[in-house]
Parts: sequence; structure tokens; C-alpha cells
Amino acid sequence: MSNNQKETKNYPNKGKSLPVEKSIKDTVFNIFKKALEENIFDALLIPAKVPDTDAYSWILLQDESLFDIADPLPPVMTVQGGRALSSFSKNGELGLKIAALLRPCEARAVIELFKLHQVDLDNMTLITIDCPGAMPLADYMNDPKKIADSFKKISEKWEISESLRPACQNCHRFSLMDGTGPDLHIGLLGENNKVTLIANSPEGNDLLEKLGFESKDSLDKWKTEKEKLVKEKTKKRESFLKEWQEKTKNPDGFFNELNKCINCHNCMNACPICYCQQCYFDSQMINFKPEIYLKKSREKGALRFPLNTMLFHIGRMSHMVLSCVACGACEDACPVSIPVGRLFSMVGDKTQKQFDYVPGLNREDPLPLQIFKEDEFCEVETPNECEEKATEEVK
Amino acid sequence: MNKKIGVYVCECGPNIPERIDIDKVIEELSSMGEVKTVKRYSLLCSNDGKKFLKEDIEKEELTHVVVAACSPKEHENTFMKVCEEAGMNPYLFQMVNIREQCAWMIPDKEEATSKAIKYIKAGVHRVLFHDPLKQKELEINVDVLVIGGGISGIEASLSLAGPNRKIHLVEKTDSLGGMAGKLSQILPHQGSKIKLVKEKIEQVENNENIHVYTSSDVKEVRGFLGNFEAVVKSNQENKEGIEEEIKVGAVVLATGFEMFDLKENPVYGYGEIENVVSALEFEEMIHSEKIELKNGKKPKSVALVHCAGRKEKGYCSKVCCLYTLKFAHYLKDNLPDVDVKELYMDLCLPHKQDQSYFDQAKEKGVEFIRMDEVEKIKKSGDKIEVEYRNNDKADKVSVDMVVIAPAMVPSQDTSHLAELLNLPLDKSGFFKELHEMLDPVATPMEGVYITGCALGPRNIPESMTQSHATSGKILSSLIPGRKVKPEVKVSEIKEDLCTGCQTCLSVCFYGAISYDPFKGVSVVNEAICRGCGSCVGSCPSGAIRSKHFTYYQLYQEVMEALR
Repeated sequence: MSNNQKETKNYPNKGKSLPVEKSIKDTVFNIFKKALEENIFDALLIPAKVPDTDAYSWILLQDESLFDIADPLPPVMTVQGGRALSSFSKNGELGLKIAALLRPCEARAVIELFKLHQVDLDNMTLITIDCPGAMPLADYMNDPKKIADSFKKISEKWEISESLRPACQNCHRFSLMDGTGPDLHIGLLGENNKVTLIANSPEGNDLLEKLGFESKDSLDKWKTEKEKLVKEKTKKRESFLKEWQEKTKNPDGFFNELNKCINCHNCMNACPICYCQQCYFDSQMINFKPEIYLKKSREKGALRFPLNTMLFHIGRMSHMVLSCVACGACEDACPVSIPVGRLFSMVGDKTQKQFDYVPGLNREDPLPLQIFKEDEFCEVETPNECEEKATEEVK
Repeated sequence: MNKKIGVYVCECGPNIPERIDIDKVIEELSSMGEVKTVKRYSLLCSNDGKKFLKEDIEKEELTHVVVAACSPKEHENTFMKVCEEAGMNPYLFQMVNIREQCAWMIPDKEEATSKAIKYIKAGVHRVLFHDPLKQKELEINVDVLVIGGGISGIEASLSLAGPNRKIHLVEKTDSLGGMAGKLSQILPHQGSKIKLVKEKIEQVENNENIHVYTSSDVKEVRGFLGNFEAVVKSNQENKEGIEEEIKVGAVVLATGFEMFDLKENPVYGYGEIENVVSALEFEEMIHSEKIELKNGKKPKSVALVHCAGRKEKGYCSKVCCLYTLKFAHYLKDNLPDVDVKELYMDLCLPHKQDQSYFDQAKEKGVEFIRMDEVEKIKKSGDKIEVEYRNNDKADKVSVDMVVIAPAMVPSQDTSHLAELLNLPLDKSGFFKELHEMLDPVATPMEGVYITGCALGPRNIPESMTQSHATSGKILSSLIPGRKVKPEVKVSEIKEDLCTGCQTCLSVCFYGAISYDPFKGVSVVNEAICRGCGSCVGSCPSGAIRSKHFTYYQLYQEVMEALR
């Protein structure tokens, strides 16, 4: 694997542009149909609309007739793709060759889960697609038709609309990044009425070759458009970070946002990175004898129940925030509209930078807490020596 | 079963009562629910004290014991043993340090007393949650794995092998002997031209208790004193890649050294200029009794350049002065007209015979030239010029042949083995001994010893002495029939909480955790686990607990201490 990944760094150079005849969906599906027909892969993990309902779910598609209900970019993200993929590939040895079509944030979650041994990537082809974002789940459930329509308009124009999920509005990693994440990327940006297939690994290249595509079309146009949008969205993200850092600059500001929490743990269940079998905060470990609560209540004057509501968020944050891919699934799942995704994404931004770590960027980057670097955080451990070293380096 | 706790406060002579009001401690502790008795004693670790403790535990029919005294590092084992003798499970015992942490720390008696009371109460609360852990005993394996077939490894193997003890000697090259095997002669005062190494190799080959693996690497070692598992991988033709698993009780590292690569520094002109040779190449010339220039003529003048690589590496290699003296003697004895110049930075002549050996060389007409540094060795017509600097003055000598004595550097495998066995290296990349003076062949890993040049430059007698020391250490600890008691306070993994993310594998210093792909969970090998608790802290799912440091034990202890 490691050898391949070194090569992967050179990707992508060129791509394969395909004209859009009927619709983008149709063009993309034709590729997958061909791949299934020719047994290039045996099954495809893809979002689909459950017939006769407004619900979206993941299906492991093997019967081609089901492409009728599949949707590469549904208006909402119901279940995070990383979670869906982990649920069937955790125990390894798939036996079948599987492709998964994911949003970039979902693929990043898959890479993080891969490092935690929660998915198996042998025999797995990760395919990502330029993502215009998704609509808030609650809005969609209120009026599915209206929201689906406005999503269609937003996605056609790549608009950074206020009606998108906050996570999507502030997302600057909606496309292919310079790393060893997905094997294949589907570029929608760039020339109108064209879909660009971009191999991002030897496996991706292999897939294109097997499909009979030669990667020789220029990526310049896609790159220019992508970078333009990345710039725009990075700016948006920075203003979001600034605004929220200001809001939460003291602990009260931070906790006030969480005060509405009803302790349902939906955020945890929706989070792709929260992979524990049983959360400590759902276990008996946090329960004490009544007399202890009475005593605490006497000491403090009163005790708020359920206990550990705040501690749950802080605990969850400290456990997973270095791997937080800012997908916003937690915020979508919150029944009381706590901006939990924004809080986590904001904290994640800062902590991840401390370790020069971008979750989901490279398969081979180790998780920051699993490795020890002597010079890391030297400003905390040995500030004097650290300063000396820095001045020496300047000299 | 009702819990009956006994609390014993040791006075430690005057150490504790000077600063702590023990009567007050007794009064406070007596009122605690499950405390059956609180007593004081002048010196609990004395024979009388231990007898008193044992009898009192029996008399009061105690189930748990707390001793408030010195540091657990000093006497925890002492008192655990007493508890065991009194019929108690020794893990239902807790030691509280009121000497170092209270009496010696706090000048104010009242404050020290109140802190001591808190600590003892914390200990009482903790001990209530202790589990009666069971001590297991494991048979020990007395066989030894020796890595490195140089003179150090050979000597260690020979002195350890016996009818009760098999030695597995692993050598990476295709023959035994190592660097010493390449030497033409040992220094004259050590017995000239002894076939020491050859004889030793023969002895090894004839010893049925030594199994030699040539062209082999050690791929894996894990375990502890008495129980190591190792994998030896063969690189021999027709056996290539074959792995053999061996079980031993101790590991001896005798991986030796290599020569500093003279090509690393272009000033020596090594590999470029004809008749510039390394010390080892000169040894070969002596061996074949052919001291000749490339053109077949005998050299009329030879420069012996010391200290090559000393500046780069930052240490003196200790043996080069003597072997270049040996070269000088050899040259003078065999080519009587030859002009020999020795260029040195410092002379290292530490042994009792060295001075006269040096004086004799001088008498034979060897010229000794002090220098700060070699500036350049270059060809000049038929001659080779060695340009050097001494006290900021440049000078040069012109000779037919140059012999360079390179520094001794750690052998290639050192860092790999250090990683495999979790051993520290020193600044120069050699293995680091546990204590340079007090424990010079031991390592932080119990049961792993180091001998010879793997620890740094040294001569053959020193390496031999170290190999004997290593054998002594092993013979006195790995006695056939003796049993070892593995750590009891190990980690355990709750399978239904473990997600199999394998984070614990990456932090375990001892390699005690493996992954069970069938169950999808991590598994602790209790024989290897030392109970350090790293895995407990690292587990994102809280699935691991340390048997004697459980959440409840620590919680109770901390809560009571902070009350």
C-alpha cells in the first residue's frame, strides 16, 4: 500500500472529460453501469431515495434497475457515508470489489475510520464528487419538495446560499484535495455540460483504463473553477471562524451554546468518527448512588439533571475533534438546533492545526495522538529550550 | 464478608512523630466505619515490627491493611509479604507515604498532620475497592539468545553454554569471528599471533549446546526475563526467508561496531588515491605478509594517520593508537629501512604495558607527529602528501603509503535492534548501558544485556571481561528450576467495549498487546504486560482497565484526598 501511495502524490495530472447528454446523473450512472456490467466492481455504495417516500438512504447496489432511485448528490445528508461504509466493511475481507460514491467530507471520514481500523479499504474504490453542499435535514423534512427544488437551483449555480447547512456554507474542502484520499474524483466544476473523471491513485487509474477511458484531457478549467470557489469558501469559513471564536471566547459563551442540550446523544450517533461500541456517557460508569447526588446538591445548592450534559460534549470533543471532518452530521441530527457542528469544526480547526494535521487528507498520515514527536509542543514542555532553538534556527 | 481494615502508622524512628501528631491521626481514623483497628509502631519494617504486624493481622482477623509509613518504593513489598504470611491476599493492602510526602515536606506540624490524615483516609477508601489479585508463577526458560557472532558474542556463548542451557547464537554474516577475526595478530604483550579467535570459533562449533545461525537476522523479540520469544530469519541461500521461532530466558546483544566510512570525508582521499588504505586493509596485508604498494614495490615511507572520524563522531575510539603502534612495530621489524610517521591528535595509552610499547616504537625510530587535523591527503608525483595543521601552522609529510585508522561506529543493526527491544541509544548511536559505572552490561529491559563494542569502542580484553560479566548476570538469575512471578497488576481489555481500533498496540512499550482478527478486539498477553497503564490512557473507548488501578480505586482515593 505504502508504495502505491507515494506514486499517488503525483496525481492528478490529466483527466477524462465526458459530455453530459441527458443529465449529469445520467452521465455518471452510465459509467457505473458499465463498470458493473463488466465486473470492474461488483457493487456500488450510493445514496438512494426510498420509493414513494421523501427519505434518502444508502444502498449497496448490485441490481442495475435500482439506478432509477439512486442519486449521487441528494439534497440532504441523512446518514454520513463514512458510517454507512464502516457498517459493512469493518470486519474486513469483503471478497467483493466495491465502489463507494461519497461526498468529499464522507470520504475524509472513511480515511479517518481506516486509520482506526473501522473500515477495510482493500477491494474498495473510493469515488468522490464535487459537492455543492446539502440542505438542513429539518428544513427538508418540513417541506421536502420545496427544499429539493431550491437545492437543485443552488447546486446548479454553486451558490454559497444561506439556506444550505451551515457546515456546507463554511466548507472549503468540497472537492478533491492534494492528498491520498479517494481513488477517483468526479469533477462537476469547469466546463458546462461536462463531467471530468480524475484518477487520484493507481487504482483509480486502473479503473479508468478498464472502462476504456484515457486520461488525457486537460484539468486546467476544472482546477481554475475549483480554486476560485475554494478561495471564496475559505474566505467565508474564515469569517465564520472569527465570528464563532469571538462568541465563545470565554467558557460561558461556549457553554451557553450547549445549554439547550437534552442529552439525547444524537450528535454522537450521527458522527462518523464516534465509533466506540459503547460511549462512556451511555455506560453505568457515570452513575453514582443517590446519596452522592444529594451530597453534591447540598454542597452546590442545587444539581442540574441529567448530569454530565456538558461533560458529554467536552468529552466527545476531546476524543474525536482531531479527526473531525466538519461534515455537520451532528448539527443536522440535533433536535434542539444546537450549533454543535460549528462548535466542533471551530475547535477542530485550531487543534488540528496544532498538529499540522488534516483529517482524511492522506491515508498514510498517522493519527496525531498515536505518534510522538520530540519537538511537538516544546513551547509548553520546555519553553526556554524551545526559544533558544528557535533563535538558533533564525541565525 | 465484612470488611475489617487495620491501619498501622509507622513512626520510622523520629522521622514521622517529629512532624506528625500520630495520636491525632489514630483518633481521626478510628472513627471511620470499616476501620477495625488503628495502631502505631516505632519501626514497622524491623524484624520485630514485621512480627507485630503479622500477629496483629491474625489477632484482629483483618481483611484489609493500610500501612502509613515511608515511600512504597522502599517497603511496599516488605509489608505485602507480611500480609501474605498472615494469611491475607497481599493485594488487599495499601501503602500510604506520610514520610516523604508529609513529614519531610511540611514544616508545620498541624498542616502535616492534617495532610497525613487525608492521605490515610484516601488509602482506606482505595483499599476497600481492591481486588484480591492472584500471583501466578511461570516456569523460566534458561536458554539464551546471543545476537552477534564476534568475539564478545562468542565468549558470552561459550561461558553460558552447558548441559542445562542451550545458546542460540545469531550472526548476520556467513561466518563467526566478527571484527576480531579479521585481525592479523593480537598485540605482542597479549601473546603474539595467538589464534585466539580461530580457537574460540572451533570451540563454538564443537559445542553441542550452542546452535549457530549464520546469515540470519533477529526479526522479533518480545517478553521479559525468563520468557522471551524471538523470531530468527535466515538470509542463507536455499533457506532464505525461513523464519524460526525460539524461546529463551535472556538476550545478549553483542552486535559490535563498524568502521567509520572514510569516504564520508573527502579530505582523506580514500578510495581515490592509490596506496591510501584503511587499517583493516593493512591488517589484511600483514595477514598475507605482503606489505606492498600497488606497483608491487615495498614502501620506503609510511604515514599512519590516527583519529579519522574522531571530530565527526565526537569521541576517541580508544584502540586505534595501539593498533597503529602495532603497525609501526611490524613495519620496522619487517621492512628495516622503512620510514614510519605517526600522525595523531591525542595519544591514548591507558594500559600498563602501553607506555613501554610506545617507547620501544620510538626507539625503533618511529616518528610521532602531533596534529590538530588532517587538511588534505593528495597525490604529488609518485608520493602521497599528507597536509595537516598543528597549532594553526600548516605542515605536511610526503610518503609512499598512508594507513588511516578510522573511528569505530555503531553497527548498522544497532538502531533497528534498539527499536525492537525498546532500548535507549546514547548520543553517538551506541547502546546505552543501564548505568555506566554501576550496571555496565544491563539495560532498562530486564533480561536483556549488552556486551562488547555494541556499547562503544573498547579492546578485546575489555569485551571479553564484559561478556563474562553478562554471563554472570544471567547465570545468577536464570537458575534451572527457578520460577518467575509475572506482573500481577496488568491491564485487561473488556471485549464488548473494544472496537478493535488498535490504538493500544501502537502505544504498548512492551509489545504485550495483539489484535485478534476473529473477535475483532485487542488482547493483552499477561505474561508480557508490565502494568504501565499506557494502553489504559490511550484507549478511546475506555475498554481497558489496569487491574490494580481501576477507575473506582483511583476515584475513591482522589475524592477522599481532596475532601
